[in-house]
Formats: sequence, C-alpha cells, structure tokens
Amino acid sequence: MSYLELNIDLTDEQNAIKIQAHKFAAEILRPAGLELDKISDPEDVIKSTVYWSAMKKAYELGYHNTLMPDSYGGLGLDPLDIHLVFEELGWGSADLALSIGVACFPAFFASMLPNDILEQNIIYPYCQNTDATFVGCWAITEPNHGTDQLCPKTEVFHDPSIKGQLRARLDGDQWVINGQKSAWVSNGPVATHALAYLSLDPAMGLAGGGICIIPLNASGVSKGRALNKMGQRALPQGEIYFDDVRVPHDYMLVDQESYETMVDLTLATANAAMGAVFTGAARAAYEEALKYSKERIQGGKALFEHQIIKHKLFNMFMKIEAARALSRAAMIYNYNNTPPSIQYSIASKVFCTNTAFEVSNEALQMFGGYGLSKEYTIEKIFRDTRAALIEDGVNDSLMLIGAHSL
Amino acid sequence: MPVFETTQKMYEVLGNLFKHLANHPDSGPKFREAGIDIHFSITDPEGDIWLTRAGDVICGKLDLKATVEMSLSGDSCHQFWMKELSLPIALAKGKIKAKGPMGKILKLLPILKPAYEAYPDIARNHGIGVS
Repeated sequence: MSYLELNIDLTDEQNAIKIQAHKFAAEILRPAGLELDKISDPEDVIKSTVYWSAMKKAYELGYHNTLMPDSYGGLGLDPLDIHLVFEELGWGSADLALSIGVACFPAFFASMLPNDILEQNIIYPYCQNTDATFVGCWAITEPNHGTDQLCPKTEVFHDPSIKGQLRARLDGDQWVINGQKSAWVSNGPVATHALAYLSLDPAMGLAGGGICIIPLNASGVSKGRALNKMGQRALPQGEIYFDDVRVPHDYMLVDQESYETMVDLTLATANAAMGAVFTGAARAAYEEALKYSKERIQGGKALFEHQIIKHKLFNMFMKIEAARALSRAAMIYNYNNTPPSIQYSIASKVFCTNTAFEVSNEALQMFGGYGLSKEYTIEKIFRDTRAALIEDGVNDSLMLIGAHSL
Repeated sequence: MPVFETTQKMYEVLGNLFKHLANHPDSGPKFREAGIDIHFSITDPEGDIWLTRAGDVICGKLDLKATVEMSLSGDSCHQFWMKELSLPIALAKGKIKAKGPMGKILKLLPILKPAYEAYPDIARNHGIGVS
C-alpha cells in the first residue's frame, strides 16, 4: 500500500525511485524477512540462501549503493531520494533494510577521503559488486562501550579514565590492531570489511580515536557467533576479535585530530537514515492494522466501525505523517550541510523509532490474541521496532547527546 | 598576513587553478558531466569564485543558485589545495563549511585530484611561498 505524497514537487524520477523501491521491498524484503525471522539459530540465518538471495538482489538492483556517489558507480541520489528508498526498505523489513544500509559503511567513508589505494581496493570494488561478496559492517560499540561511543562533544567523551577496547598502534607503514568489538556489530557475522572505530590515544579518552577500514580476511581476525535476538533477526550482528591484525597505513581514514567530528557526522548520517527506515516500519504496522480492522468482525461489525479503533488508527496515521515530515526534513538538511546539526538527526531517530514502536504496539493490540501469534506479520514488526529503541544509540541517551547541542 | 594578500591575487591563483581543472582532459569532462555549480565563498580576503557546470570560472558575485557552496578562508583554501588540511580536519576545526547534497560533494572529490597536483606550481608562479 502506498501513501498520499504530500510533497507536490516530487519529480517523476523520484516517484519512480519510490515505486521501484517499494516493489523490491514488497516482493523480496518482506517475504525474506518473515522467513528468516522463523529461523531459530541465527547462525543458520547467515548461512541461509534466503538471506543471501535477498542481499544479492539488493546488490543487483544497486540498493547497496544508495549512499554512494555516482562518480564511483553509486546511485548518486539526492537526500530526498535516499529517504524515499530507505522508507520503502524499512517498510519491507527493517532488519534487512539495515543490513543493506550498513553494508556501504567502509566504502562510503572511504569515498569521503579518497586516495588511490582506497579507490582501487575499497570504493570501486564495493560499488561494482553485484553479488553481495563485498559487505561492510559498522564496528563501533564494544563490550564496555555502547552509546558512550556515540556522544561526541560531551564530557564523557573526553574523560581519560574511559578507554576504548579496540586499539591501534602504528608500526612502520602499517597499523597493528588489537582488541574486540561487541556483539552488536551490525553485519559483523557476514561482513568482508569493517569500518572500525578504535582507540589511537587512550589518554584522550574516547575522543582519542580513529576510523579504520579492516579487511576481515586479514590474519588475526576472528568472529563470535551471530547474536540471538528478540527482534531484527534478519540483521546479522556479532562480535569481532582482532589479534595483531595489520592493515595498510592508508586504511586509517581519520585520526584523533578529527575523530570527534567524524563520529558526529557518522551519528548524524546514521540516525537520519534510521528515521527514514522506521517511518517505513511504522507505516507497515499501520497498514497491517488498517487492513485487519476492515476484515475482522467483532460485536457484529468490522473492527474499523468501532469508534475506538477508528480513533486509534487516526492517531497512528498522524504520527506516521509527522515522522515522515521530520525525518525527511532532518535528512535533507543534514545531508546538505557539513558539518551537520546533529540534534535534528537525533530527533528524527528518536521520534521515528518511538513512533514505530508505539504504532506497532497499538496495531498488535488491535489484532487481539492473533497479534501475539507468529502467523501475523505484526508480531515481527513489533519485535523489530522494539529493537530500534536501542540500536544506533539508546534513545534516552541520544536525547541527552542531542540536548547538548541545544 | 593572509597567504593571498589581496582579493585580486586570490582570484588570479585560484582562478587559474580552476581553469586548469576545467580544461583537464580527464577531470574537465567529468566535471561538466556532473552538472554542478560550485560557489567558493571566501573570507580574508573576501571573494567569491564560481566554477559553473559549463566549466566556466567566474571570480566575483554571480546571480546563480549554487549546487554546492563551500565557505572557507583564503588561508584554508591554500592549505586545502596544498594537502596540508584534510577535509575532516577542516570540518573538525570549523575551517570549511559545505552546503549541498552530500552525494554531490563526494562526487567532486575524485574529480579534484588534478587540482591538488597542479596547485603548488600555480601558487609558486604567482609568487606565493610554497614549502
């Protein structure tokens, strides 16, 4: 189901982008996400042909290149186009949308700081990949560091007693990396390359970091088991360990001099994308509820004919429209301004994920007992949206980080 | 004392640099193909330099809506083209502000390569001290 487009300036090309992304989401992501959700062992998810078929199709169609500039073979989309795509992918299956979205992290950050080696080894091979054999992950959180890794420009970030658990030291023309990343590394179990946020100068606290691309076939890299989660089960997440892993000097994209700014930019980019994805997830929940309310008869009439249900549905509808308006505005502004205004991306992430959870919770309630059953899509969407309140920064903490900019 | 003592001097140096880029056999066509109008809004000395999608370099005010607008000082410009100031550090220190679709800005970065290579000679030829 689509929605009334309130942007009267949307071009024919943008409408086509939206329609194509919706088709992919409906035909590939939604069924794949539901099937993968039923697999009990997450190790089987990452071996599943269902997961890899969905990823390969995404790569074939170029959705892994949504953020990549077209000079390298990316889609070269404008911010509004990006929002249109991410909302539809989130509508299809939020977990797979995130897996596709995060796959570009190493190449995307390399494209901000291109050099010949990065172009040759990372950017072009990623953009040209069509069979999902080049998959990136976002390795930022650590067992002892969750959202505090994402709070640039706060006192915590500069506290020298708080030290990162993945460290790099320069040895000649190579970086030597030791430590580990947490079980929450998105795409960790399936990735070929990590965009790793690591500590270069522990005396500076978390601010003394760097951002490095690490090929995960390097000697000394090992991975933990894929994490067994309550929601977003089609997004593979898991620990990565680094034992004297050596990477070329050029793979360190950013050092401590600009680390904090790049964390700020990372959070602004990722949180804005989360806003779009979970506007889509909220819409998916609402559509499930609206459809069911017109089919299910209770008290002699369709649920939809009961005033309380109509009231709830309209409340859901309003929240989603507000989520789309905010998340589009935040993405358009922050993908057009460098440095970004992080508080707007955070507002988008927090508002849209809260909306998605509230809407899916209300939707599930409308389904009554059936809503608790795995036979109905709403049960998965509910669990997926619950996870969104925590990933990409716990909402409560993000609000404190956002407030720091007020 | 700023690197570019006068706006005129800055226009000569950076104007030449962008003309070199626009006429470069590899980057010139790619830039025109990109369909981007860039406006460098420069302070200290004050000035405006435009590189239009047609490949024209215009120094001074222009009644045009830029696709990408870069705001920076003349010294930051010099350091940037000398590769003494990387983009993240410039952003971290507030030395460069960029306005325009992120994708378009990222698209520009590989096209700019010949300008990095040419800048030291162009600057030297205009009497700018280059180490």
